[in-house]
Amino acid sequence: MTCRDTENLLELERKGEIPAGEQQALKLHLAACRRCGETAKVARLSSVLLGTLRQEIVPGTSFYARLGERLAATGSDQPDSTLLHAWGFARRLIPAVALGVLVLAGVTISLGGPSMPRQVQGANSKDIYAFSLEEVNLTGSVERPNQDQMLAFVLMQGEVQGAGSGE
Amino acid sequence: MCMNDKENSLLGPAREQRDEAAQEEARLIRQAQDGNQRAFEALVRLHERLVFGIIGSFLRRRQDVEDLAQEVFLKAYLAIGRFRPGAPFAPWLHRIAVNTSYDHLRGIRRRPEIGIADLAESEADFLDRYVEKGYLSGGGEADDRLAARDLAERILATLRPKDRLAITLREVNGFEIAQIARSLGCSRAAAKVRLFRARRAMQAALRRLIRQDEQEKGMGDRAARGGRDDLS
Repeated sequence: MTCRDTENLLELERKGEIPAGEQQALKLHLAACRRCGETAKVARLSSVLLGTLRQEIVPGTSFYARLGERLAATGSDQPDSTLLHAWGFARRLIPAVALGVLVLAGVTISLGGPSMPRQVQGANSKDIYAFSLEEVNLTGSVERPNQDQMLAFVLMQGEVQGAGSGE
Repeated sequence: MCMNDKENSLLGPAREQRDEAAQEEARLIRQAQDGNQRAFEALVRLHERLVFGIIGSFLRRRQDVEDLAQEVFLKAYLAIGRFRPGAPFAPWLHRIAVNTSYDHLRGIRRRPEIGIADLAESEADFLDRYVEKGYLSGGGEADDRLAARDLAERILATLRPKDRLAITLREVNGFEIAQIARSLGCSRAAAKVRLFRARRAMQAALRRLIRQDEQEKGMGDRAARGGRDDLS
């Protein structure tokens, strides 16, 4: 018999399934092999100790009276079973709804929704809205100004410069 | 009459009884879900033995066991509205009992590794006797049994709560791996790992204690021999 066989037999012994014929061989090996002898001693002691935790406790006479009182006290607080079923169903839905919202938000962001221009402070304390190059280059987002608009822009720039030099 | 007919005629009454019991349980569950307290108490009586068995393997004093059992049944009463009709009731109740025991164990501070010096005198004597004899019969004396239980609890208190639950449910309450997994809310593989780890930790602690005991005994013998040599 090898030490490996002994381990298997000890496991069978723990389960109470060791064949009668093997018991004697196991005993002989344990007497001869110090290491297996120690392993067996520890395994058997472990089983003995765990066995002492088994105890048959029957509820005392007052147990059900006390339980009845506590159930009655909580009875009025107990939610209706239909409501509980509905809540259970709703609770299972919450993660699905949250996931849906996240996916929707992700899709909106990836499609590039309308972005707000950055507000920067102009030289004459007037607010100028700055668009990024990427935003300006978006097809159709900025139209080429016509001649009147360009003239008005040049005149306005002149006024701004004049006001700046006059200060 | 062929073998199957014979078996059926023998098993028939038992099967009928089982079916009747299942129908009665289903009726009680329906009534309890409708708020019938008497029906719930009848359900508790059907399953009290196992719930008390689970809790009794962690707590020793009857009063403590009863208090925790009350918690278990109260939780079950409050949750019975969510119980799916037709599902097996016993595993559902076991899970509540195991979770309540787990909460209780988590509340207790885990003890560090124990040495022979940490043992009470009765525990050390028990261990000493075991090491000397090498084997104990199952029916030891009452004092030995108490000391053994003290020692078992002391060693189990060094384990992680879930590992402790796994080994206790298996070795004390006789749960199968699948039942342990269901009760702990983990996979069968995880339950096996917990069980293996708990057994190994318990055996390592015992091996350490036995070695320390043998060392102490060896030192005692040498001292006694030294004393005799001095006298001669």
